[in-house]
Amino acid sequence: MVTTRRSFVGASLSLGATLALPNIARGASPKVVVVGGGFGGGTAAKYVKRFMPQAEVTLVERDRQFVTCPFSNYVIGGLIKDIKQITHGYDKIAKRGVKVVHDEAVGVDPSARKVTLKGGSVLDYDRLVLAPGIDFNYEGLPGYSEAAAEVMPHAWKAGPQTLLLRKQLEAMPDGGTVIIVAPANPFRCPPGPYERAGMIAWYLKNNKPKSKILIFDPKETFSKQALFFESYEILYPGMIQWIGGKQGGKVTRVDPKAMTVEAEFGEEKGNVINVIPPQRAGKIAQLAGVTDDKGWCPIKPESMESAKVPGIYVVGDACIAGAMPKSGTAANSQARNAAAALVASLEGKPAPEPSYANTCYSIVAEGYGFSVTGVYAATPEGIKEIAGGVSKAKAPPKDRDLEAAYAFDWYRGIVHDALG
Amino acid sequence: MRTQRTVLSGAALATLVLVAPAQAAPSAEAIARNCVVCHGPKEAGQLEIPKLANYPARKMVEMLTGFRDGQKEATIMNRIAKAFTDEQIQALAAHFAAQ
Ligand SMILES: Cc1cc2nc3c(=O)[nH]c(=O)nc-3n(C[C@H](O)[C@H](O)[C@H](O)COP(=O)(O)OP(=O)(O)OC[C@H]3O[C@@H](n4cnc5c(N)ncnc54)[C@H](O)[C@@H]3O)c2cc1C
Repeated sequence: MVTTRRSFVGASLSLGATLALPNIARGASPKVVVVGGGFGGGTAAKYVKRFMPQAEVTLVERDRQFVTCPFSNYVIGGLIKDIKQITHGYDKIAKRGVKVVHDEAVGVDPSARKVTLKGGSVLDYDRLVLAPGIDFNYEGLPGYSEAAAEVMPHAWKAGPQTLLLRKQLEAMPDGGTVIIVAPANPFRCPPGPYERAGMIAWYLKNNKPKSKILIFDPKETFSKQALFFESYEILYPGMIQWIGGKQGGKVTRVDPKAMTVEAEFGEEKGNVINVIPPQRAGKIAQLAGVTDDKGWCPIKPESMESAKVPGIYVVGDACIAGAMPKSGTAANSQARNAAAALVASLEGKPAPEPSYANTCYSIVAEGYGFSVTGVYAATPEGIKEIAGGVSKAKAPPKDRDLEAAYAFDWYRGIVHDALG
Repeated sequence: MRTQRTVLSGAALATLVLVAPAQAAPSAEAIARNCVVCHGPKEAGQLEIPKLANYPARKMVEMLTGFRDGQKEATIMNRIAKAFTDEQIQALAAHFAAQ
């Protein structure tokens, strides 16, 4: 071990960070395992391979196909007619030399540097990237459970849940009530629940115009709030009502049998109830020992390496990355920078200075989009926003139309960058 | 970074200089990798957002500086360009022009 390590790391053995890591490499082809083939993991695997072609990169992903959460609200609203348009395979990334294994990671031994898969195989790694996204914390919301989600869909992981919510809207009578239960911070896609309200309203306005939408929310403010309210007012006057934290919008219990939601403000019955439950990092992060007491993964801002366990990098929704939101774009940007830092560490070099970015478009009707964007830097106090902001308020319709078109371009680009 | 520096007092500036090694500027390559998510390589198939490969350097400097300083209208680039110094804009322009 020592000899191969020396031959691989060469002159860089003097670096403390490198020395602290056992089994740095077993030869000229370091092994990198990536768990999770979403926006974070797909990007990480692709870029590690690009930056270090001799690395043996294995991507472990549970599912054969990736249905993106981004644009799944448009399937729910009917702007996108077929879920196939947001469903992607892993063949392209495999062609780039990434070994794709469809299995579930069920254990990580950070001292032996091994990942155990449900199918029984064990993968050795020199560096591990965890990008498992989120898991739901069902216990955090009394009355809700995996079984309850078949009645009150979350649709917060795209796929069958997306179609279930769509079907329920189609079956709902005109004049009915749709309830959206929004979660407290932090959660996947901060503007997501409000974009969804807009998209559902778009469907209802065109098909069941007497219906209404109630958003129950424990928060007092949310992402792009002024822009969402402005758009609701222009596009769907009177249809969407937001009950925030101050008005008692915090939901304390849901009842899937009675189809009711109990909030601090009172009880409400819905024809369709979309419950977005509290969340935490995907379970494998917890098993690997990289989560904090709140269930998320603290990272080093300059490299995305776990602040708790060396040799493991955590990107995407599972991590807490300072000012960056839990978005696909953020996961993708974190993963590219993590890949550069990871490869540098294998080469015994310090991580190059990262440049993090986020852009999230929201479309609330055909031809009506707006965005939030940010550029971020690693600082000793964490990842900080250095520039950014939201679209202009009261912008002319041509700007909203342009941003809706840009959203589609963003989607093409990110899917290509992560899995293409 | 640019805006921060202009509002900092002398003492704060000294601290900024002291911690400079940890806050070194990212390379044009590192920044550019974020750009292509929306602007794409050709294969991604974007329809509206301009491609950046082979973009004339002089024009890119003019655009980014204009967005940053509020002289050019934009839906989104005006917000993003504020992150970059003159040097970074030059380096980005050179990076894309050479693709
Ligand atoms: C309705 C909605 C709309 C959204 N819209 C946008 C948007 O417009 N723009 C944007 O930027 N973001 C958007 N997001 C957020 C975006 O979906 C997430 O931030 C992004 O998917 C996070 O990437 P990730 O890699 O961390 O997780 P994911 O993309 O969820 O990927 C995680 C992957 O890991 C796999 N996995 C987990 N555990 C294991 C294991 N143990 N073994 C093997 N595989 C495992 C999962 O199967 C999954 O494929 C939206 C989210 C929602 C819910």
